[in-house]
Amino acid sequence: MKKILFSLLMMLTISLSSMATDTVIEPAEHVTSPAAPATTEPLRKSTYREETYQPLDFKDMMINFYHTTGINALLQPKEGVVTSQGKPMSAFHQSWGRVIMFGVTFLLFYLAIAKGFEPLLLLPIAFGGLLANVPIANIAGPHGLLGIIYNMGIANELFPLLIFMGVGAMTDFGPLLANPRTALLGGAAQFGIFGTLVGAYALSQFTPWFDFTLQQSAAISIIGGADGPTSIFIATSLAPELLGAIAVASYSYMALVPIIQPPIMRALTTPEERKIRMRTLRHVSRLEKLLFPLLVFSMIILLLPDAAPLVGAFALGNYFKESGVVDRLSDTMQNALINIVTIFLGLGVGSKLASDQFLVIDTLAILVLGLVAFSVGTAAGVIMAKIMNMFSDEKINPLIGSAGVSAVPMAARVSHKEGTKDDPTNMLLMHAMGPNVAGVIGSAIAAGVMIALFK
Amino acid sequence: MFFESIKIMLLGMGTVFLFLTTMVYMTKIMSKLILRYFPEVSKAPASVSQSTIAPVQKTNENAKIAAILAALQHHHALEQEGKI
Repeated sequence: MKKILFSLLMMLTISLSSMATDTVIEPAEHVTSPAAPATTEPLRKSTYREETYQPLDFKDMMINFYHTTGINALLQPKEGVVTSQGKPMSAFHQSWGRVIMFGVTFLLFYLAIAKGFEPLLLLPIAFGGLLANVPIANIAGPHGLLGIIYNMGIANELFPLLIFMGVGAMTDFGPLLANPRTALLGGAAQFGIFGTLVGAYALSQFTPWFDFTLQQSAAISIIGGADGPTSIFIATSLAPELLGAIAVASYSYMALVPIIQPPIMRALTTPEERKIRMRTLRHVSRLEKLLFPLLVFSMIILLLPDAAPLVGAFALGNYFKESGVVDRLSDTMQNALINIVTIFLGLGVGSKLASDQFLVIDTLAILVLGLVAFSVGTAAGVIMAKIMNMFSDEKINPLIGSAGVSAVPMAARVSHKEGTKDDPTNMLLMHAMGPNVAGVIGSAIAAGVMIALFK
Repeated sequence: MFFESIKIMLLGMGTVFLFLTTMVYMTKIMSKLILRYFPEVSKAPASVSQSTIAPVQKTNENAKIAAILAALQHHHALEQEGKI
């Protein structure tokens, strides 16, 4: 553990010093430069540089160099420093804010590496956050590495869709097709989203500390869908200023599924209910699997075209996989493409961990509201299963209701694990995959509704 | 303005459930149609590998042999009755 922290610290110092040396030419401007020849005639660039560079004695050179270091930038905040969006940056966000954010990114490194919390996304996000907080270099600015990545695929909502394509290519709709009824559990879990929307908006209406608009409330509440790409998709289109906090909350809670969900599931169910055995799933034919994505997509075309980008990408990935004739393409979507996009998506989101955007009171509210959204979604799924049991002879084990939040396949695994605690031979995993994939569709529909209302 | 969010919640949950309920019924209908008109059996021979085809042929041959034997026996019986 100590080793990891130490190496991180080393990396930080190295990156800080290299950033500082990169920009060493800059101070030449505010050294006295009488009548630059550039105004008279356009010279070749190298000659021009030579003319503007003033010979200095070594002491001044050292002082000028010190002014370009990160140490100076962190210790002495200046007026007129701008954020990556070109707005003036407060002294706190320039100095202590950055230091706190370095701490936050180290905490995320720790969670990702030592605790194994969604490392595939948390690590790129955290490192992006580290880069975004480097002073002077402006990496998150429009011409920096992170800024370019952000504008390339997040500002225009491309990356989340590519991720969705890959997720589609990895999804097996078999369990859902074998027992379609369980899709309703995936619907109930979306109550986490809309319940939190009301909560967030109430918070800003009835308390003086928060001031979320309806759009911002909607973007925050999508965390309850427990679907990273969907959260990023919605946050980018409704409230890009909150993207960093929403993405971090969303992926952190997805990683925390095995900790957050079980207490809620146990509180809402009796031991008898947890022991319910479900009928073995029937075999699903290839034709059914092949037609299902098209069925879902045709319904989207008719009912909610605003969800078509998300569901379309998902259906595309799944259709390629089930067609069985383009294994190479589906294989690329499931592996190479999704991996590349994950790196870019993580770094781009990380650019929103800049101190001026993350260290605001809203972030705290987003983290709390996200947790509420997630818990409400879990509870709603379990309760829905109990309600369905009242009206049907074929009982559903309420533990699979919690899998309606879409975190695939983690939520389904949690259902299975909780089930085996009361009955070690009860195989719930495949049953829980049904509501799990329905949850993905459900949160895409919820997202579509938000887009339709607010666009 | 607060009721605006309640309205969105009702509309949103309504849409999600309407969509998923429709999806459940459409899926059930689709599965029924597929199982009736394109049952899995039609797919089975296509995916059966060489090794599983061989025994099928064997049983066919057995049946052939049985048929030939039966025919012979019948022929023999007819001969003995003196009809031929």
